[in-house]
Amino acid sequence: MNPRDTPTPARNWRDIPQQMSPRTMSSEGRKRVIYRVLKMVAVVGAVGALGWGGLEIASTFKENPRKAPDTALQSAPVKDLLLVTDGVLDQTWMNRTLALPKKTSLMELDLFQLRTRVLASGQVRAATITRNFPSTLAVSLSERMPVARLSAQNKDDAPRTLLVARDGVVYEGVGYDAAMIETLPWLGGVKLTRAGGTFQPIAGMESVAELLAKAKMEAEHLYNTWKVVSLAKLNSDDELEVTTKDATKITFSITEDFFRQLANLDAILDAAAAHPEKSLREINLAVGSQVPVSFHDAAPAITAAPVSRSAPPAAVKSLVLPSFSTH
Amino acid sequence: MSSRSTFIGAVEIGTSKITVLIGEYTGRELAIIGHGECSSRGMIKGAVVDYKAASECTHSALEQAERDAGERIELVFLAQTGGHLEGFYNETAVNVKAADNMIEAADIRTVSDLAKSKELPAGRMVVHNIRRPFRVDGRLIPGSPEHLVGQRLEVGYWTVHGQEQRLADNIHVIRGFNLEVRELVLASLASGHMVTTPEERQHGVLAIDVGAGTTDFVLYRDGGAHTTGVVPVGGSHLTNDLSIGLRLTEGQAEKLKLRFGRATVQARDKAEKVWLDGNFAIGDRQFPRQAIEQIVSARTWELLEVVKKKLGGSFSPETCAAGVVLTGGTAKLPGIAEAAAKVFGVPAHLGETPSWVADNLRDPGNHTALGLLYYGVNAQNERAVSEKRRGGLLTNFKKLFASA
Repeated sequence: MNPRDTPTPARNWRDIPQQMSPRTMSSEGRKRVIYRVLKMVAVVGAVGALGWGGLEIASTFKENPRKAPDTALQSAPVKDLLLVTDGVLDQTWMNRTLALPKKTSLMELDLFQLRTRVLASGQVRAATITRNFPSTLAVSLSERMPVARLSAQNKDDAPRTLLVARDGVVYEGVGYDAAMIETLPWLGGVKLTRAGGTFQPIAGMESVAELLAKAKMEAEHLYNTWKVVSLAKLNSDDELEVTTKDATKITFSITEDFFRQLANLDAILDAAAAHPEKSLREINLAVGSQVPVSFHDAAPAITAAPVSRSAPPAAVKSLVLPSFSTH
Repeated sequence: MSSRSTFIGAVEIGTSKITVLIGEYTGRELAIIGHGECSSRGMIKGAVVDYKAASECTHSALEQAERDAGERIELVFLAQTGGHLEGFYNETAVNVKAADNMIEAADIRTVSDLAKSKELPAGRMVVHNIRRPFRVDGRLIPGSPEHLVGQRLEVGYWTVHGQEQRLADNIHVIRGFNLEVRELVLASLASGHMVTTPEERQHGVLAIDVGAGTTDFVLYRDGGAHTTGVVPVGGSHLTNDLSIGLRLTEGQAEKLKLRFGRATVQARDKAEKVWLDGNFAIGDRQFPRQAIEQIVSARTWELLEVVKKKLGGSFSPETCAAGVVLTGGTAKLPGIAEAAAKVFGVPAHLGETPSWVADNLRDPGNHTALGLLYYGVNAQNERAVSEKRRGGLLTNFKKLFASA
């Protein structure tokens, strides 16, 4: 049979019209109709208002693209600058960095540009700038902390001291206590590369930072004697070379536990202190359990005296310290 | 509450009470969050005879359910019963068109349309078209015959139809509350689905919902509904018989029925008497217990016999291996399962409420409303699937441009 020959189906209950005038409804039914109508009116009104608003804005922009923002911008000039930081930067620095024109309104500020300006200083790790209406600009900073310093000099300029953070970022420190900066060791064996107005981060600073932090925390008396930390052998031998104030070279391996190496060093220095006539030249902690120690003069070899007898510090009591020999 | 929840309303406008349930369907599970109930007024044998009274109590139950749920519903699934409902079976066959005799969707559509297209008398409207399994060259196909090979495709529909005015009256009662009737569902199908298991329906089972004014029944075979029917006799007729037989008011007769009525006669002693009220009040009377049981049982047996007669050749103990399941308010009558077993010659038992239903809804009188919710969930799922198939707004736009 051709589908076109199919007879029409019988009438279904769905053919009964469900429309009903509110007059024939119960009071609750009428209430529901009113509620539905009001809801619909509210939705239509909201959509209409949004549309009208959109059209108004669009036409304002069309007439004068600067008109709409200007109206808003002139409404709230910046009165206060609020700085919240976890470091040492102060209000003066912020005023200088942001360099806001006088009587600028809050809405006129380009927050993205201001943030870029703040982040241009390597000392700032993260920055959030918000408008606090009616007239406050709030700047929240998270700062880098220096772990070492280095001296850099351009061709004709005077040498200047730069600071290096744990993540290798090199920056000119602002607002730090000079005495604190003096305690930082110098960084050696690195080559600074310019990238725009700043320097490229120094690779391998995590290891340096870890060594310095461990030394400062566990053996500050040793840390205070350190003058230069060199990264010259970092890439080739996985070694860090520390030069002390009395010119002793100490080599650390970054693949070994720094705590263990520091304990060894402390013990060796204690043992060496028993021979004041000898001047230490080099201690290599990077070769394993046997620590080569060399002196400035060709002194007779110090026999392998068990270091544990020479009263090791309390922190390394449990360590089995190696014997050492002169070269 | 999840924003993707759907609220489904189920309304049963019965002769003795109106039940409204509101279910929250999250797409995975159904929670019954609202229940409203009201004694019926303006209803006789499942039909509206006083629109205002019926509307008032239905709306009161709807309000109660919405208050209980704390949600406003927009649409309901409405149970349909009443003596005006009738059914007939129409079967058609077509020759498969394709040269390779593979049945295509068009063949299925044609044969289905033909089977459903039988003309109805004036003033009658289709409520349900219940399809029976397809046959390909006489072979029974439980699912879809699409892509099967055969020469002749047959299908039959059990069409349930009712009087237009009666159907419209029920719908208008709901519309008076400004709610849309999403689906009219036969009360017997709703309650039958609640009290039978898929296995029982596969083996053949007869579900009888004995209400106050009507008795709805559905016979399942091969996993689907085979025959449905309504007998305009229910529990209120038992009360009426008692009232006439013992010269009592309807209220007194109802009280006696509930306390001493039985579907099978158990009392052997003719002299055994029971008190009408039993509270030693002035005017309290005694009645022979055997007479009460005899009156109630006679009408119950007669009712079950009528159901059996209406089923005719469709029912046979061989094709109804899972027996008879009884539900509805009057199914609480003691001995009714025993009576049904004797009348139909198959085992009979009372329908059990599924375990997930709360204690306050575990009455057999709520099975129809619960079944409606179940039906609503299925309809919701089917709707979601078909909408997914049709595609989203973007697909429709694409279609629009493609056709342009």
